[in-house]
Order: sequence, then structure tokens, then C-alpha cells
Amino acid sequence: MLRSHSFFIGVLLATPALAGGPIAIRVGRAETVAKGVVLNAVILVEDGKIVLIGEDLPVERGVPILDRPSWTVMPGLVSCYTRIGQDSEGGDDFSPDVKAVDELYPKSRDLRKVVEYGVTTLGIYPAGNGIPGIAAAVRPIGETVEEMVLDDSAYLKIVMRSDSASKKRLRDAFKKADEHDEKVKKAREKFDEKFDKDKDKKGKKEEKKEDKPEPKPEPKPEPKPEEKKVAQGEGQDADPESAQEPKAEAKTDKKADGFVPPAPDDKSRAFVEMRAGKLRALVTLAAASDWLHWLDAIGKEKIGFDVRLVLNQDSDMYYVFDKKTYDLEADGIGDRKIHAVVEPLLTFTPNTRRVRNLPMELARAGAKVCFTPRVDDLPNYKAWLAHVSELVGAGMSRETALRGLTLNPAEMLGVGDRVGSIEKGKDANLVFVDGDPFQPSTRIQAVMLDGRFVFGEVDL
Amino acid sequence: MIRLDLMRRLSFLAVVSCAAFPVLAQEGEKTDAPKGDAEESKDEKKKDEEERWFAILNGDVYAGTGEVLRGATLLSKNGKIHSIGYDLYVPPDAKTVDAKGYRLYPGLVAISSQGLLGNASGDFEDTIDPFSFRMVLGLGTGITTTGAGSGAVKLKRFSVDGAVLNEKIFSTFSWSANNPRGKGELREKLVVAAKFLREYREWQRKVKEEKDLPEPSKRGVDNNMLGVLQGEQTAKFVANDRDDLLGIARLAQEFGFRPVIEGCQEGWTVADELGRAGVRAIVTPRDRRTKDERQAHDGGASIENAAILHRAGVQVAITPATEGVDLGGLAGRDILHLPIEPGFAVRGGLSERAALESITIVPARLLGVSHRVGSLEVGKDCDVIVTDGDVLHYKTFVQWAVIDGKVVYDKEKELFYAHIRPRPEVAAVKKIDAGETPPVPVEPAEEGEKDEEKDGPEKKDGEKKDGDETPPKKDG
Repeated sequence: MLRSHSFFIGVLLATPALAGGPIAIRVGRAETVAKGVVLNAVILVEDGKIVLIGEDLPVERGVPILDRPSWTVMPGLVSCYTRIGQDSEGGDDFSPDVKAVDELYPKSRDLRKVVEYGVTTLGIYPAGNGIPGIAAAVRPIGETVEEMVLDDSAYLKIVMRSDSASKKRLRDAFKKADEHDEKVKKAREKFDEKFDKDKDKKGKKEEKKEDKPEPKPEPKPEPKPEEKKVAQGEGQDADPESAQEPKAEAKTDKKADGFVPPAPDDKSRAFVEMRAGKLRALVTLAAASDWLHWLDAIGKEKIGFDVRLVLNQDSDMYYVFDKKTYDLEADGIGDRKIHAVVEPLLTFTPNTRRVRNLPMELARAGAKVCFTPRVDDLPNYKAWLAHVSELVGAGMSRETALRGLTLNPAEMLGVGDRVGSIEKGKDANLVFVDGDPFQPSTRIQAVMLDGRFVFGEVDL
Repeated sequence: MIRLDLMRRLSFLAVVSCAAFPVLAQEGEKTDAPKGDAEESKDEKKKDEEERWFAILNGDVYAGTGEVLRGATLLSKNGKIHSIGYDLYVPPDAKTVDAKGYRLYPGLVAISSQGLLGNASGDFEDTIDPFSFRMVLGLGTGITTTGAGSGAVKLKRFSVDGAVLNEKIFSTFSWSANNPRGKGELREKLVVAAKFLREYREWQRKVKEEKDLPEPSKRGVDNNMLGVLQGEQTAKFVANDRDDLLGIARLAQEFGFRPVIEGCQEGWTVADELGRAGVRAIVTPRDRRTKDERQAHDGGASIENAAILHRAGVQVAITPATEGVDLGGLAGRDILHLPIEPGFAVRGGLSERAALESITIVPARLLGVSHRVGSLEVGKDCDVIVTDGDVLHYKTFVQWAVIDGKVVYDKEKELFYAHIRPRPEVAAVKKIDAGETPPVPVEPAEEGEKDEEKDGPEKKDGEKKDGDETPPKKDG
């Protein structure tokens, strides 16, 4: 294994060591998150990607080496639920067509600043209440919006409260999606009719083969999204366009019979996509009852969702962490194995001063904990690691804590295949610290974003 | 009515029903209706799908209808009371509570309360907070059903489904000597509604022969009044003065409806009239008011009010002075002291049975939900409280509260009263909160999640011990 790697490095040497050229990093300890801890780790970075990671790998001569045996490296932090650096006003109560990416301002100073605190990926959500729109996964540094965006539809933000308005909003939204399905079905029937007619005409012109009519393909309830899903998986860019443009060539034999369903309108698109499994929701819940009302509101709808749990000092959220403890009739959050975005906060059992570590309980119940800063501002970004270390001090395992800062939020944003851990092939987003990341005395020494050092004075 | 001999028969029934009989009480409103053969087979299919058994063993059952069965067992199936009696067959998978030495009462019904459902208002299905600490306090008081706003709702913890029993409980009207014009308007409305009803019935009779006869116009007819006169809605008045009470009673007799009068402080002076008019009263025995000096008749508040009204045939529901959970102001007069309030009526001569009924079946009737709650009878919802003494006694604690055959409150597991006179079997076991920080943070060596589970074996054992003695809360 090692030998072949070193050969690989040798080959790479052929290219000049420019900005994108290879660089080797040797540190005392690497928290890879995905594959545990690697001591005396050597990481080879090229073209913004991690090419290699291993213990004590030999490095070819000529490859610049950053040698810091006293440092620890960890993946760049991922803040999946934030509006840092954004200042536009929120939309109205129901605007699932709004995309956070449209209001992104690349020159924001706050975005530059969070990089210094180790944050290399952000999930920016659209402001507003109710259903304000679709969040985007972005890198904090870029000259243009396009440069920054990793994924322009990471999740649909939905705020769920225990009130009639929240449920009505959802019911209306699904009704709109139903209407779209109905439209697709009608278009399908119309198309089939026409298709059969054309077939008949052709058949008659050429020869009277058989009178047997073409077996009518069963109108699928949602042909478009399913086909799409297979075709492009999680991709979503230019989805509406691609649905619209082929209208003209509908008659040409593109797929089986060439039927192209009508595109959903702006307000229903997000929910049509959610039903098709292409878009997930992030549901904001502030109390335990909100969870039950949310499950009640979606009923039998099969949509993928994660939750954002707003913790406060007296949060009663623990009632719904699992089904078992309180004999709930519905599933608990942990039972669903979904991501749960929480602030790193120790809380009290309501009406007492008994401290609880709700994020830890949540993780034990089976949820994938993702951390967001306590408050969405720079001081709290600066103290983010320290705040999480409070939970570690109160019993949470380091692995859970680290994962909640990196890989879990990355997966929640749908970019877990690109960022969130130190693995071969992933983006080289690395944070270098001079000790245990969960020690308050530890300082961030350097931050690498896409293979470039964007913070810290590093002499090779 | 539950009689002892009936119970014996029921105990036999219970054994057989497990083998072959259809479910006695399924989901649904009125369960008394006999079922046809077709339905039986359907029920049997349902039975295969899910059977949720729950039993409270060896308790003294105060059924709320006058009967007491000492050391009896109450068996519930799928949330309804399946049988009450002795030597019942309890299915092995039933969850049980051993209530030896304790008493069983029907869950209390608060005719009105505020805040027990969290910050819910209006659409309770959509807004109820089944984790509200005030709901826990309400259950700790013994309240399992409450009138709230315009509805009757159960304090169904841990669930947002099926809590609302009745969405529209009262149509409230005003009748007061201070507002003579209002009295006139109300009367006018009644007259118009009654006239319309007469015309409508006439039309209904005639239309069979004359098909083209136009339906009488509903213009100017008050819908609420119509509902009241047709017995679909309950008219509620708030009145305390003797004259007002008499006025309402006469109105009710004239137009033929049975009003609910809240307050009714001088009711004892006109109890016979109220009784004849079929009035139902909501009273607060500790209410105080002085007699109007200008009045020649008896007047003012009397501690005998509830007793005299009851004797005259007025159904009496009792409510405390404050309907919210009120920890300031006058102690002992808020909704958390609902069971203590009737004690003052007992002091004034009300029988203890009527006192119990005044916070169970009577308010249930007034709320229109007495077919489901308010007494322990076969076929009704299994809403039970288990207490360590007479429910009306100030010293008594609710030990368990059960709603729909599920324990929703266990004194020893909640914050509020666990430390006061703990049950002997749990007093010894030290309890640690499930999420409490362990004293020494444990740093797992390698695999975090798995080690975390090992962190708290003591805690989990402790919890399980609790569970062994108290109702088993869970199967996987």
C-alpha cells in the first residue's frame, strides 16, 4: 500500500508545484472523523483535494512539506444552520420558492471572519417565518456567488409551531403539490390519447398490421420526479429548466414514449421535489409538543426531513427523544435516525436546577447531532469549539462532539461526500490546532480551504 | 349501574371474552349499542390487529355512581373499561398497577380551567401541549378532563391525538337585572326561534301532501337559540342574584330548555324553582357575598348552597374560585385544589357522594361527555385516578392518573410531589434523572457511541427498579 502511494507522489511531482500543486502536511495527530485518529499523520493535498492520508507516509523529495509535529489537524467545521454575514429581510409566511443563494453576498466581512474560527462550510438559510425557502451549502470564501456555492438547495426550512397556522400552511402546501400531481396525470392522459392517435394513423398508413391497440402505459402518479431521481440523484441545479426546455421536443422519442410532464409552479415545486425524495426539509421545533404536532401535520406524507431543535434553559425536548422512555404513540426523534441541529448548550430539567446534557441524550437516542453556534454571531462562532467542549466535559464523547461539528452537518447539507472529514478524495478543508480541540487553551493555528491556506502564517 | 352480582357475571365474561367474545368496547362514541353479527366478525379482526390491555389490581373501586368494590380489579382494553370485578382474568401481556390499599376514582372533570393544556387556545387538536408542566400538575390534582375555552378536552399526555371530546360545549347568554334591554332582546330571540320551530314542524307535516310548499324563512332566527331549543346546545348563564336566577328559571320553563347557571350564589333561596326548571348549577362553595339590604327575601351566600340546591334536584357541579394554575394570591383556591372545594359543600350538608359527583359525572354531563368519562363503568373510557385516601380529603395525593388505559401520571416519577410521603416501595430507591449529568464525566476510549451507552448502567438499572414496582411503562 505505502509503496504504491509513494510512487503516486512521485508521479505527481512531474507537475510544477504551483498553487494547485501537491503539498504534504505532517502533523502529530489527525482527527479524521470518518476513520478515527491517525497519529503522526501525513496528508497529501493537491488541486484542493485530499489525495492521501496515512500514518507516517514517506514523502518524495521536492514536495513541499509542512512539518508540525505538535499540531492536530481536524476537518473544517461545518455550520449547517446559519445566517452569518446575511442581512436581508425575511420573506412572508409561505415562500418555499425563495432560495437563500439568491441573496448571498460574497463580500461579507463576517464570512471572511468565520474562516478564522475554523469554519469552512456554511448552510445559509433564508430568513423568515413559516416556510421561508431553501437553504444553500456554501464555502465562506469566493469572489462570486457561483464560486461559493456547493449546493443551492440543501434543505427547505420549515418552522413548526404548535398552532393551527403551521399545520394549515403545510396542508395547503401539500394540497398544491396534489394539484400538480393532478396536472401531471391529466397531461399524461392527454399525451397518451394523442400518442395512440398518432400510432393509429401511422399504422393505418403503412399497413393494417393488427387491430390490437397499443397497450396503454399506466399513468404513473409521479413519473417525472422518479425518473429524475434515477437520472441525477441528489443533483438539483437547473432542474426546473431541464423540465421545461424539452417541452418543444416532447414528440421526439426521448424516454420510453417521450412524455414530458409539466413543470410544477414556484409555490409547489419544493413540495413536489420533497415528495419525490429530492429535497429534504429542516423543521424548526421549539418544544417537545411541536414534534408531535409536526408528525401529526405530515401524517402519511413520505418526506425526508431533519430537525432543528431550539434549545433554551428549560427545554422539555427530552420528552420526544425516543419512543420508549415516555411510551409515546409516535416515533421519537432518535428513532427516526435523523439529523438534529442544536446549539451546544447545557440545560435544566424544567422547573429545577438539575443540569441536563440534551445534545448527549439526543445522540444516545440515535439522532445525528449537528451543532450550530449558540447565537448566530461572530463571538459565538469564536467560542464555538469551547461551547461544544462544555458538553464534552459533561459526558458527551469527543467523537460525537467532533462529528457534530463536521461530518454530521455536512451530511445534513447533502455535501457529506465532499466535506466534513479527512478522507481521500474529499475537499482539503482542514483546521490546524495546537492541542486537543476540546481544551479551552487550544488555539487555531491555521485553516486550509480547498487546499489553500486562508488563515494562519504558514511557512513551508 | 354496577352491582356486585353483575360484577361476578362480568368476571366470567372477561374470561370468555378473551377467547371468543367480541370486544365489548371499541373506539367510538356510544358503546352501549348492541352489535350485529357482521360487526362481531369485524371486531374480531380488529382484535387480532391490536389489543392493549391494562389492569389496576386490588384497589378499592369508587365507581362514582355510589358503588364501592373493595379490593377489586379494573381491567381496560384498548383504552376502554372492559370489566370491573373480582377474580378477573388478566391477560399476561397486560400492563398492571398494583393498587392494594389505594382507592380508584373516576378521573376528575374540571368544568372549566385555564392553562392545563399548555398555551393552547382554540383549536386544541392543533395546539395542545401534551408536555406542559401545568398538565402534569392538573393530573396530579386528579383532573383528567377539563372544559377549556369552548371545548371539552382530556389531559392526554404524550400524545396530540384524540384529546378533544367535545368541540362546542356551551352557548353563553346574559340575563341580568342590570341590563333590562338585554333581557328583552334575549326573550325576543327565544320567541322568534320558537316561532320558527313551530312553523318548521308545521311545514314538515304539510309538505308531505303539498310538495311545493315553501320552507319557512330562517331570516332573523338566532342559530344558537335554535340549537338550545332543539336540545343540541347547552345554554349557559352567569348569574348570582335571586331575581336573575328566578328569571332564568321561568324563561327555561316557558321555552323548555335546561340551562346551566354559573355562580348561582343565591340559588339556595330559590332552590325549588330552579329544581323544577331543570337548572344545572356550577357553584363555588367558598364564594362569599353579603345580602342586599334592600331585599326583603333571604339572600347572600350560604355554605349550604350546594346542599340545598342538590336536595331540590338541581345537579351541582363544583369549581374552585380561580380556574388557572395560580400560585400567587389566595392559596388553595386555584384549579389544583379542585377536589378540596367540594369538601366545603360537604361541610354545608352535601352528601359525600354528591360531592364526588360534583367534580366527576355532573360536570361531565354539563360538558356533554358523560357517555365517555365521569364514572367508572364498563364501556366508558378508562380514565382513572388512584389515590392514597378519600379524594375529597386535603391530605390525599393522587398516586397514578390513567387516561385511555395508559398511565400518564405517577407521583413518584414527577417533580412536584414525589418527595412528600413517597410510596414505601419506591422510597428506598434512589432516583436519578435520566438526563442528569453523571458525577464523573466518563471519557470513552475509542468508540464513542457505544461507550456512552455504558456510561449509565447504574442509572438505567435504577430506572428499571422503579418500573418494576410502579406500572411498567413500556414494551419495546
